[in-house]
Amino acid sequence: MRKQSTFVGAAFGAVTLLALGAGPALASGSSVNANLMPIPGSGVRGSGTAMVAVSGTTITVTMAATGLLPNQPHAAHIHFGADARHECPVIGDDTNKDGHLTTSEGAPAYGPVVVSLTKTGDTSPASTLAIDRFDTAQGGTLSYERGSIKVSPAVATAITAGKAVVVIHGVDYNKDGKYSGSVKSDLNPALPTEATDPALCGALLAAPVGGMATGDGGAAGGVSPGLLALGGAALAAAAGTGVIASRRSRIAVR
Amino acid sequence: MTGSTSTGGRRGTLVAAATSVVLAVVGVGTVTLGVRGSEGPPAPTGSTPSSSTATSMPAPAALAPTASANTAPRFGRFLPASRPTVLDIPSIGVHSSAFVDLDVTPDGTMSVPATADQVGFYVGGPTPGQLGPAVIAAHVDSIQGPGVFYRLGAVEVGASVRVSRADGSVLRFVVDKVALYPKDRFPTEQVYRGTFDRAEIRLVTCGGTFDKVRHYLDNVVVFGHLLGIAKP
Repeated sequence: MRKQSTFVGAAFGAVTLLALGAGPALASGSSVNANLMPIPGSGVRGSGTAMVAVSGTTITVTMAATGLLPNQPHAAHIHFGADARHECPVIGDDTNKDGHLTTSEGAPAYGPVVVSLTKTGDTSPASTLAIDRFDTAQGGTLSYERGSIKVSPAVATAITAGKAVVVIHGVDYNKDGKYSGSVKSDLNPALPTEATDPALCGALLAAPVGGMATGDGGAAGGVSPGLLALGGAALAAAAGTGVIASRRSRIAVR
Repeated sequence: MTGSTSTGGRRGTLVAAATSVVLAVVGVGTVTLGVRGSEGPPAPTGSTPSSSTATSMPAPAALAPTASANTAPRFGRFLPASRPTVLDIPSIGVHSSAFVDLDVTPDGTMSVPATADQVGFYVGGPTPGQLGPAVIAAHVDSIQGPGVFYRLGAVEVGASVRVSRADGSVLRFVVDKVALYPKDRFPTEQVYRGTFDRAEIRLVTCGGTFDKVRHYLDNVVVFGHLLGIAKP
């Protein structure tokens, strides 16, 4: 009896493993990527890419960007809000019409911070402005990778569903090569708004599902529908003329 | 008078019979060519259609939890975004500037170029030269005949793939792997993500057996990475 139940248990385990292995959701929903592009009105001419791999409630974030204000720390986050538009802000989100988008003005598009992409220590929203723990863009280029980041089940689901957005902050409106200016940050009045305004943004989206339909078989080996149709038409024509020929010959014989 | 009529009738019969024979020969010949005269698009060397290569897939490295990064990761060289404008694969005679955008369709699959002479660039992924894999897809053929990527399966490891970009740069990629995957087991993670630690390229087309409902059963995928910048 015991042996049998063990066997049944093992069989059930094998079936479960097979089901997991074959599940399309596992293959297609386990990672998302973003193309990071300049925030409208930011004056930034940079770009970048980001990839987030999700395994349960643990994520690995890989990100690279160029064209950022050189040698300055750039706060970077994953944003998500259930009520947000799950996209990057447009210039229409500039509610005070000053031509620049602050982090708060972008919130209707991307929602609040859910993960702080710090190099070390805490990665929760509590580290949103932990400037000393964010990457410094050497020469304007940022290379970031961090694994074992824990997120809530809701955030993991949102990321996998393509509803999260990556934002890199830090701009230089007055082109003086540093975070400066009299306008203070909407997030922390001790900082200039240049230090926290969004610079690059990209929605994290899933890759296309499955293979690609890139052939109609016109030049396939074996049976080629195009050539078959052509050959078939010629054969039909041949049969047609053959019938005419035999009719004529019958007439001729007569 | 009957003689001339009879001659005319005989000539007409002969012409009709000859036409019939010619058309029959052309018809049979074309059908033969359709059935076994063409070899079809080349398959990747050493590949068995519809199953074998998929088994050698390593687990995506990016999914394995890594230690927290305290220093900058060691990425390969990468560049700012710039769209591809010209694709050259000298070893199989591909040269095309007929780029069109590809994106995810409402049913979640990838859109494909409208015609077989176009090359599609997947705009949801990195541009060639950015960190991560840039995906370029084109048709192997259409009803009319061979497409841009007809000979993609003949690309060999080590072959050169050149991509010109809108910013004037010309990038040289080198082929690391050429594989045939069943469409129902398409390696999405490997194609669209890879290890995401250097600038890579993917070239995708159809291949393998052409089934009775007029679909290729496999996708040929060429994997490559950025080797150098021919023109900055």
